[in-house]
Amino acid sequence: MSQDPLEGCRISAGKKSAVSLGKALHPPNLLVVVEGTCGACVAASPVSAPEGSCSYNVAHHHLCVCVRVCMAWQGLQKGETLASLKQESENLRRKLEEERGKLTDVELHQVAEKVETVAALSIKTRRVLKGHGNKVLSMDWCKDKRRLVSSSQDGKVIVWDAFTLNKEHGITLPCTWVMACAYAPSGCAVACGGLDNKCSVVPLSLDRNENVTAKKKSVAMHTNYVSGCSFTNSDMQLLTSSGDGTCALWDVESGQLLQSFHGHTADVLSLDLAPSETGNTFVSGGCDMKANVWDMRSGQNIQSFDNHQSDINCVKYYPSGDAFASASDDATCRFYDLRADREVAVYQKDSIIFGASSVDFSLSGRLLFAGYNDYTINVWDVLKGTRVSVLFGHENRVSRVRVSPDGTALCSASWDNTLRVSRT
Amino acid sequence: MSGKMCSSSSILQAQKLVDQLQIEACMERFKISLTAADLVRYCQGHRRSDPLITGISSSSNPFKDKKTCVLL
Repeated sequence: MSQDPLEGCRISAGKKSAVSLGKALHPPNLLVVVEGTCGACVAASPVSAPEGSCSYNVAHHHLCVCVRVCMAWQGLQKGETLASLKQESENLRRKLEEERGKLTDVELHQVAEKVETVAALSIKTRRVLKGHGNKVLSMDWCKDKRRLVSSSQDGKVIVWDAFTLNKEHGITLPCTWVMACAYAPSGCAVACGGLDNKCSVVPLSLDRNENVTAKKKSVAMHTNYVSGCSFTNSDMQLLTSSGDGTCALWDVESGQLLQSFHGHTADVLSLDLAPSETGNTFVSGGCDMKANVWDMRSGQNIQSFDNHQSDINCVKYYPSGDAFASASDDATCRFYDLRADREVAVYQKDSIIFGASSVDFSLSGRLLFAGYNDYTINVWDVLKGTRVSVLFGHENRVSRVRVSPDGTALCSASWDNTLRVSRT
Repeated sequence: MSGKMCSSSSILQAQKLVDQLQIEACMERFKISLTAADLVRYCQGHRRSDPLITGISSSSNPFKDKKTCVLL
């Protein structure tokens, strides 16, 4: 019993991002398949481990690999069967629902009854940014509140000055469908990625003549497309979400994988970091219809919400960090209270039948801007659950909406190849 | 052999699910009446500094179209 069950194991890279290892256990003679990363034996990026064998000492295993095998070992010792585990998970789920139900003593819109309604918004398109040759898939504002970066199906990433419409930088990627882009907090670099399964960081130069594309550096490596990326508080760390079902935290300088987040059972389509004051968590949403909240340090999934009926395209934290919103192909946007651990509002209308692709809050959190596949942006009153306004203008799906850092403008990116900046 | 591998990997997955649910079950939760009140308070407290709700004057709006100059 004291023998090391992992001694002399072989590692081979599976079809997915997980590194799987197997060993015949005596007794009983079963093959245990473990998913996880081993921080020691796979040098650079465990997410895409090279084929071949590698033997290692159990003492150097990544903790979760050891624990999972030990649990399987103990589970088998206790004579746990699949049926008994399924029963236990059903019981736990029911208990969780009960606990959540006990705390629902009132609805959000009831608490918000005394709040005065939002005055009619007079938001108009003030700038149309033309220049991409194909669908604009993503955009992000710079902290200086005037620059923004956008990425497109045409493989290009453009940095714009939204006031003057000047294109400051153009980066060409070797792949099409650049689905993710983000501005670094310092404003000195941008990150982008997509169908190339990578997320690269490109330092921006003040010298217009310099070819920024040449300085592009690959940081993140996934085994499927990169759907979302975000810098953490500094330019030094990058968080990515991928079609391979995982999220990952990377060190920009070395390209090293710092932490990986496993739990989604399908493509992860979006992620958002909690506002810095509230600590080290982030939320992700994906094709498994789940929104998961993660602890960045431990890699642990701390909360999970499965209210949506279809793919979750976008997740975004409420400005205080105590809640978040999601947009889904089921034509609804939802609002979740993290401290009550449940969904507290659904933003939907019978007349809205197209999927929502993106959401963002206004500065105070009162308004939720949501971009839809029917080319419109609906503006929702977060507290009362009613629609405040509809913004028209785009001639194809709205792929991304983002409020500027000072809350004065809304930028929307669309499959009509343009971006629009709107203000009151 | 492959049959046995499938069953042990699904046992492992079921075990992972049970552990995940146990972690979630231990979480401290609060009543919606309390948490919702906090959300409302945040909104109201930041209302004045939300330009999209309160609007901004033309003079400080860099996106507003400037009127043409009149040469006197």
